Amino acid sequence: MAESSVLPATASAALGVPPATRRRPVRFSTIAQHATIIFFCLVILIPIAWVLLLSVKSLRDAYTGALWPEQFDFTHYAYVFEHMPQALRNFANSIIVTLSTVIITSTIAILAGYALVHLRTPGRALVVSVLVATLFFPTRLVSLIGIFQIQNSLHLINTLPGLILPYVTLNLALSILVMRGIFEQISAEMVDAAKIDGANSWRILLEILLPLAANGLVVLVIVNFVTAWGEYLLAVTLTNDQSMRTFPVVLVTTFGGFGEWAFPRVAAMYIMAITPGIITFAIAQRWYMKGLMEGALKI
Amino acid sequence: MRSITASRAVAGPRRSWRVRYRDFGNWVYLVPALFFFLLYMAYPIVRVIWISFTDYQYLRDVPANFIGLQNFSKALADPVFRTGLLRAATFTAIFLPGVIFIPLFVAVLVDRVKNPRLSTIYRLILLIPAVIPGAMIFVLWRWLYDFEIGPINVILVNYLHLFNFRNAPQWIGASPLALPAVAFVEIWWGLGYHTMFFLAGLAAIPRELFEAARVDGANEWQTFWHVTIPRLRPILLILVVLRFGTAMAVIDDFLIMGGLNRAMPTYTWTVYMWHLAFQIGSWPQGYAAAIGWIGAAVMLIVVAGLFWVFRNRD
Repeated sequence: MAESSVLPATASAALGVPPATRRRPVRFSTIAQHATIIFFCLVILIPIAWVLLLSVKSLRDAYTGALWPEQFDFTHYAYVFEHMPQALRNFANSIIVTLSTVIITSTIAILAGYALVHLRTPGRALVVSVLVATLFFPTRLVSLIGIFQIQNSLHLINTLPGLILPYVTLNLALSILVMRGIFEQISAEMVDAAKIDGANSWRILLEILLPLAANGLVVLVIVNFVTAWGEYLLAVTLTNDQSMRTFPVVLVTTFGGFGEWAFPRVAAMYIMAITPGIITFAIAQRWYMKGLMEGALKI
Repeated sequence: MRSITASRAVAGPRRSWRVRYRDFGNWVYLVPALFFFLLYMAYPIVRVIWISFTDYQYLRDVPANFIGLQNFSKALADPVFRTGLLRAATFTAIFLPGVIFIPLFVAVLVDRVKNPRLSTIYRLILLIPAVIPGAMIFVLWRWLYDFEIGPINVILVNYLHLFNFRNAPQWIGASPLALPAVAFVEIWWGLGYHTMFFLAGLAAIPRELFEAARVDGANEWQTFWHVTIPRLRPILLILVVLRFGTAMAVIDDFLIMGGLNRAMPTYTWTVYMWHLAFQIGSWPQGYAAAIGWIGAAVMLIVVAGLFWVFRNRD
């Protein structure tokens, strides 16, 4: 124990990595390990691949019991854009609601996280306790009836602000705690040094802390994006006018259609709905992974 | 458990009152959070407590009357509500082990992948569902589980010929398979995210501990059991408590993949609450509020119990 602990963690980990030139025979356990991981990866990928395939099937092939179509038809995406203005409207609703929610929640979480870590804010232990407590309580479910009544008395039923306002609170506690975790990784000395140099608290936040917290911000944006983009319960409760509904609600209510809402077209809409998230993730994954490991997971 | 609530000690042993008074100015940064917290979380919850003591019905044009605990006693005797709680508990019992142990298993495997590029690719693929929003996941699986055109049954019937369309499994709906099927979807959705949790935990374990265990002659299983698990204990406990709460309060999955049919196993207390508050009769929201609160109270009691069981004995 004493002897091995002298080795730095990275060095002992590196010992297990064979250099590319020196090939060891691959052991059975390694094959089994990779095979198992690949199995799980396939379980993840196949359902998504199936919708993707469905969205390019010809109408006839979509309703036969064959998995692989005889004839491909790539026009369903164009059809949605050209002939289904209602669906596009719902899509736009979703974009407005999601962007607003992400921007508002992230801004609030950054400000609050800053006050909880790098400023002397009285009562911050209490604030953190309340935030953590809300994570263990089904707030969305219990507050739902109350939120409906509030939005109703404010005449915000069937409006987009009526969705955005409660959406902000969905992930607020988690977002603040994530930002707190990220800010705690940044040393207080750096903030103190800036203070001595005469920077005020706004400048410290904008010019010193935010650039250092970039990875965590990516996590924050993605988590809030996913929540707002696919929220169903509040959306279906607070809207009943089809033109004000968000895209997920419309997708849920139009199952197994024929005609305009034929299966491959709904699948095409589905792919349109999940692609923004996956593309954002693909672009930002490096920072997202770092952010997750840096402290976003340390609630 | 303490680490989540512990906040940094306030710097400086002695500060004048004036400085402390000025520190309240820093609450400016918390005001936006406070606004949303009070208006759309605290106030609705308090309001729901209040109406749970009344006979308020949304579509009735009569002022609500205070009726004391009548809603609560009615709910406790309501067989639909009791069955609903039991169904949610069943769902939790199926879901919880799966969402803890499968990601743990995958994380241990991925953690040992030596090739950095391969390791990143595995992580990315596993995380794809984490960036697909909940409602989209449930819509997707409602298609996959569909009795006639769902690819699962298509494979079972047309390709493997294990069933025909008379005896093919009914995955969701009024079927005993519905709760396991929905639990599987939730586990599928959370697999990558929870694997990341465990990978972060595994990465924090000093490698020397594994080396030392190997030197001492421990086999893989012993190393896992005596080195990995104790080190992951805090993460495991938080996940068990958090996911217990999520599982008992699941509603979107049941609304999307199930529906508002009381015979379905997915008609849990949460669905019943929503159904009462926004669909049934003149929307008896007072009664629905009481149901929401009893369900939440049951959850809170179990959560408190879990915290007590897992309390730090050191």
